[in-house]
Amino acid sequence: MRIGVYFCNCGPNISEKIDSAAVREAVAQVEGFGYFRTVDFLCSSTGTEEMEADISAEKPDRVVVAACSVRDHEETFRDVLSRAGINPFLMQMVNIREHIAWVTADPLQATAKAIAQIRAAMKRVVLHESLVRQELDVNTGVLVVGSGPAGLKAALTLAEAGRKVVLVEKEPMIGGMPVRYEEMFPNIECGPCMLEPVMGDLLHGPFAENVEILNLSEVEGVVGYHGNFTATIRKRARRVSADLCIACGMCIEACPAKGPNPYNCGMNEKKAIDFPFRGVLPNLPYIDAAACVRTTKGEDCTACRDACLVEGAVLLDEAEEVVTRDIGAIILATGGALYDCSRLPNLGHGVVPDVLDALEFERMLAASGPTEGVLRTASGKIPERIAIVHCVGSLDHRHMNYCSGVCCEVAFKFNHLIAHKLEGATVTHFYRTICVAGKEEFKLYEEAKSRGTTRFLQYEDLSELSVSGGGEGKGISISSARGGGNALDRYDMVVLCPAIVPSDGTRKMLSLLELASDRFGFAAELHGRMDSAKGNVRGVFLAGTCQAPMDVQKAVNQALAATGLALSGLVPGRKMVVEPVTAEVDAERCSGCRSCILVCPYKAIVFDAEKDAAVINPVLCMGCGTCVAACPSGAIKGIHFTNEEILAEIAEVLA
Amino acid sequence: MTPFEPKIVGFLCNWCSYAGADKAGTAQIAYPPNLRIIRVMCTGRVDPQFVLSAYREGADGVIILACHPGDCHYKEQNYRAIQRHRLLLRLLAPFGIGEARCRLDFVSAAEGETFARVVTGMVEELKTMGPIGLQA
Repeated sequence: MRIGVYFCNCGPNISEKIDSAAVREAVAQVEGFGYFRTVDFLCSSTGTEEMEADISAEKPDRVVVAACSVRDHEETFRDVLSRAGINPFLMQMVNIREHIAWVTADPLQATAKAIAQIRAAMKRVVLHESLVRQELDVNTGVLVVGSGPAGLKAALTLAEAGRKVVLVEKEPMIGGMPVRYEEMFPNIECGPCMLEPVMGDLLHGPFAENVEILNLSEVEGVVGYHGNFTATIRKRARRVSADLCIACGMCIEACPAKGPNPYNCGMNEKKAIDFPFRGVLPNLPYIDAAACVRTTKGEDCTACRDACLVEGAVLLDEAEEVVTRDIGAIILATGGALYDCSRLPNLGHGVVPDVLDALEFERMLAASGPTEGVLRTASGKIPERIAIVHCVGSLDHRHMNYCSGVCCEVAFKFNHLIAHKLEGATVTHFYRTICVAGKEEFKLYEEAKSRGTTRFLQYEDLSELSVSGGGEGKGISISSARGGGNALDRYDMVVLCPAIVPSDGTRKMLSLLELASDRFGFAAELHGRMDSAKGNVRGVFLAGTCQAPMDVQKAVNQALAATGLALSGLVPGRKMVVEPVTAEVDAERCSGCRSCILVCPYKAIVFDAEKDAAVINPVLCMGCGTCVAACPSGAIKGIHFTNEEILAEIAEVLA
Repeated sequence: MTPFEPKIVGFLCNWCSYAGADKAGTAQIAYPPNLRIIRVMCTGRVDPQFVLSAYREGADGVIILACHPGDCHYKEQNYRAIQRHRLLLRLLAPFGIGEARCRLDFVSAAEGETFARVVTGMVEELKTMGPIGLQA
């Protein structure tokens, strides 16, 4: 065994503090010492060329590099070893710059510390093994979960880049929440119109063949790893053929059954076979099993099929299906939801008539909504006085302790739309604080402030407000506990602007992918600032409100960031390198206790009943070594961080 | 008589605390040279036998420096380190090795000052406590 030790002066950075001659003398005593070289700048092109030539000539069995942080140059020196014909893992780096020279005042002490750490590296490196980086073929296709603006834009961009995309959406239509909004802030742009070009391209554009849209579908399982995932998807039956249906609507007229329309928040009814709403894409009806008499009453009704103009377009007996798709990466775009206003019972949502949440009000404003865009109370009255309550559940430690950032915008958009629909109607904003950041966003607030019909009332804590009354022509009163229980005014309608919270779909996918969530239940980004479009599972990227409350612009921007990461991570023709620093089980010593399986964060370990031992999948294993430390039988080897290697280091740093 | 200089072995995870030590270096924040660094990929890898071995080989103190809870590069393995540390403390207490000699702390990649402060604090404390005094 012959160890070559390379000592980098790093110009004066190391040489001013650490005496290389003293180091040389001390390390020469270690068994296996071969030679010692001092180089001025080992990482420079001159330095690496010299090192490569030297290693080629000296042919050491092992190399120790005493220089800077492994985070700076471990790869640099591993490459040098490879080029010189030595396995790159037969090297150990010692960080004598950041960890010693730059932080130790006294040169004698710095030199002594450097000697201890370099000797420890020598004791360790003799135990190193040659390791090989495995290369795997990758699947460059992408699964996009959720078809709101973020999912749509991600899917389309990937398709344009020539990638195969599977777009999974649990609803019968695509477009997410904004297709239900007639107008969007800040420019009072029509939501469906804004999304239409993207949706049209996905459905019929030049790259549409790259996209498979699975509606009424949910991801049920994902196995594998970055580059080679397999997703299991449950497709519920639409019972209407997407290929044959001409969307004439004859079936809808014929259908005898009705049920509450979930796309209008249950504020009106729709037929059991119906479109979710007018203008929906894909432009297809679906049979709602919760309303169809075939499922609810077991009747043999065939009215829709009988009325259908196209043979075979209504598929009454279509069954749900479970399909699998192989993909290389996953973009999560499962969106957000509104905070449940019933958790603030003093605000009367669901109890006091004409208290609506923001989504219900959006639908009332929409021409495709339950009132065809006419604002009216449950008793049919045109409202004259409307209250809008801000921060419902947000900025509140008892509910969601963050600012959703978009609700004030929504409130001022409502203000604008009310003013246009109901001349003379008054709007009162109950607000805690106003947040309208952005280059375009301030104008709706300015407009609201400038209207004589708009009033602002600041509250300190939402719990001080109490909403009561309502019904048959009677006004709703909002009283304030802070004002001694005074009724502040009476209103015909109250609109609550709730916090944005993670959707059920987001929570479900986080748990299914074992993706970290933040303390609010949103998908946790790998790094809050530098990697906010990455989840903490490799190959899973985050887009839109599944990660945080955001507006459409931010959601789409993040979707494009996620798309870029998916594209650059999986390049056609490029193989994926699997790091060899993993763990492996010695089946002979494994007692079968399964402790390792419990601690593994990557599901990389399974129990092989035939071998009667745990088995680690090296592709899934990330090399954290937790299973190694947890194994009571010492049956698991942490490759490149073996017990023997670490114990040798410990003994020598203390020698 | 030369003053007592404690020997401390520090197990640093590759992602947060090793990078935190790098940060102390780039910021040139001086701290006592008593710490000897053993790099592991994750503090979840710190087998209790490493800690026991360090005492056996003459360490006066051991410190495990992990990522802050919630920031683990491997999801949550620093919690395993916390659990094992608690067990270690119970195991070591009958030998007179208290928490001051077997510490677990958190240092992020950005916390160079914290790294230097934690190390300096431990060195100072061990200096006042004196050598570990285990029988070989």
